[in-house]
Amino acid sequence: MGGLNRSYTVDDELPPLVKEMTQEAINLFEGSAGDSGPSQFTDEETARETLGTEGTVASGRMSLSFAIELLRRYFGSDVYNHTGTVDLRFLRPVRPGDTITFTGRITGVSREVNGSRVSVEIKAENQRGDTTGAGQGSAVVPNAYLPSEE
Amino acid sequence: MVEADERILLDWDALEVGETFDSYEYVLTQEMIDTYRKGVMDSEASFPTISHKVDVKQYNARYQDAGSVNARCAFHCYNPPVAGKRITVRAWIADKYLRRGKNYIVTEAVSVDEDGRLIDRVITHELKQPTEVGKKWGG
Repeated sequence: MGGLNRSYTVDDELPPLVKEMTQEAINLFEGSAGDSGPSQFTDEETARETLGTEGTVASGRMSLSFAIELLRRYFGSDVYNHTGTVDLRFLRPVRPGDTITFTGRITGVSREVNGSRVSVEIKAENQRGDTTGAGQGSAVVPNAYLPSEE
Repeated sequence: MVEADERILLDWDALEVGETFDSYEYVLTQEMIDTYRKGVMDSEASFPTISHKVDVKQYNARYQDAGSVNARCAFHCYNPPVAGKRITVRAWIADKYLRRGKNYIVTEAVSVDEDGRLIDRVITHELKQPTEVGKKWGG
């Protein structure tokens, strides 16, 4: 049985991923690990005291999760969930009410023992065009999924 | 009665790179997975371990500091965790550095489930003067 037979080329763009941030989503994310106490993510007063911000912010780990989703949707769960990486720097806060768009562009394809590592540049922007996060990700696509070499 | 905070006050200069924390264990429940997926608005999200912030959990249990802001985070996917499995986390101080007058601590953690399946690796760079971020962000 053949693989997905996909090809990857430098400068290929990934389908963008858009996320509408809400306080409810932030609360669910924080609560999913059993953290119920006030934090800079869930409580405005704690955010003011800890960060000096006017309101709450989303954990950078939410943006990390979204970047992983961007890559998983592109490479497929069978590939990304077992070989995927992401490395994201958090440059500006993501707040409730923000719309964040994650984009990706292939920057390199290199041969490895069991396949090809496809590297992707990742960027996250809010509705004002500010970059909230930037970094890289990658996945190793098995040889069986790639077109045979001529 | 309020319990005394027995954590060590962080001395950034004295903190040793390579310091390893006690293992941390938890059972990942289906409810945790479902709640995480709702939070990230992704019904197929496979690594709910992210929201557990396991790389800094044991650091925060040992050290008391002024709080922190996540400046950078790297994640390696190995195998999605399975609901109901006990997960063991080993975490350590991977690095520390000073940049533009601000102190950063890098923690790293690896999660393995009760069957010995490698789950993920997370590496986080935390800024240890969080109010500096508020100034930069302009409130």
